[in-house]
Amino acid sequence: MELNGEQFIAASVPVVWRGLNDVAVLGKAIPGCETIERISPEEVHAKVMFKIGPVRARFAGKLLLSDVIEEKSCSMAFEGSGGAAGFAKGRSRVELISAEGGTLVRFTTEASIGGKLGQIGGRLISASAKKIADDFFEAFAKELNPHASEITAGGAV
Amino acid sequence: MKAAAFDYIKAQSIPEVLALMREHGDDARLMAGGQTLLATLNMRLSEPQILIDITELAELKGIELSGEHLWVGALVTHTEIENAPLIKKYAPILQAAAPHIAHRAIRNLGTWGGSLVYGDPAAEWPACSIAVNATMVVRGLQGERRIPARDFFVDLYTTALAPDEILMGTEIPLANAKDVFSFQELARRHGDYAVAGLAAVAKKTSQALSDCNFVFFSVATTPVAAVQAQNLVNGQVVNAELITAAVAAARAEIETMEDITNSAAAKSHLVGVLLERALKKMLAD
Repeated sequence: MELNGEQFIAASVPVVWRGLNDVAVLGKAIPGCETIERISPEEVHAKVMFKIGPVRARFAGKLLLSDVIEEKSCSMAFEGSGGAAGFAKGRSRVELISAEGGTLVRFTTEASIGGKLGQIGGRLISASAKKIADDFFEAFAKELNPHASEITAGGAV
Repeated sequence: MKAAAFDYIKAQSIPEVLALMREHGDDARLMAGGQTLLATLNMRLSEPQILIDITELAELKGIELSGEHLWVGALVTHTEIENAPLIKKYAPILQAAAPHIAHRAIRNLGTWGGSLVYGDPAAEWPACSIAVNATMVVRGLQGERRIPARDFFVDLYTTALAPDEILMGTEIPLANAKDVFSFQELARRHGDYAVAGLAAVAKKTSQALSDCNFVFFSVATTPVAAVQAQNLVNGQVVNAELITAAVAAARAEIETMEDITNSAAAKSHLVGVLLERALKKMLAD
């Protein structure tokens, strides 16, 4: 599965960068995030409860950062296991671009999902991933900018 | 495959259901026909602590005429809709759509309300409910609310129903002799999830259509009405030229979404194919 998109956030590049690197902000923005901790500058562990339609799957996962260019871009490798439900792993690249009035976050993701979640949920896996990404960015923008009620433009495509 | 252990309560009244939902929150699931829920439990894709069986609640059953509406209770099964004379007379598109839902064994147990609140983008009932201008009647501890079907489906598997509310049933305006409809669905095999589908309803006076609802399903995260195509057709005599224009408008306005086997472009193409078939069928009726 691939998920590519870009999202405008009404905050400057340094603010967005700090937010994306702040596990406290991420913990509030990731839908269903139960725990998140930074193990080292490059490694983050998290437990996330995914709720999409009939599915409730608790994933324990880790995220490894690489190719980090401060306030510009980074790559992430992630893998998570949802017990009986299945597993997910993949890579994502995130790039921040300064734009008028804020920052454009551009992301490309490749992920594979296996186990029962992959077999049963396969029909709507892209739609589900897009919804999770949209929910994340909406919450993330609110975390950065608690007074702005809505993100102003963009959307995962 | 076998579900994880859970508690089970057979509810005897709506207030009891609402109290249980408040007490258990997200750990509880309502069970109606169980045709999606029990499969996901057995696959261990979800592990609720408690199932609240609502199948005994008489208030959620039955199809009846009430004033200017047809009342379809949330627990009415797909098979009941398929066979009910009142549906055939007053909401015939539902009767036409019912045979497309999965297979007989599932239709015998699966329910109208279950399908609506589940909000699967490939399901027939959400699109049909919008096409017939249904109103969802929901109840919570704060009382009853009415939600137009067109406002009910907000995102993938997400409806306007609050977590502590239950869908009682729907009110459907009565169809009369002027009403025409067409239900179109493409699936790889009968009973499979739709590749694309259309619930179309309109009023016909000689060769002109008005009050059009063209609601597509399985092309986006929710059922979606082709509003511009509807506006083009409303009040017009439908000829080949208008059909071509409506097809182009629907293809342009609906942002289709790929699924595992079909690209967004293929779905956009099918949107036009289905609309053309539906318009021709409604003219011929």
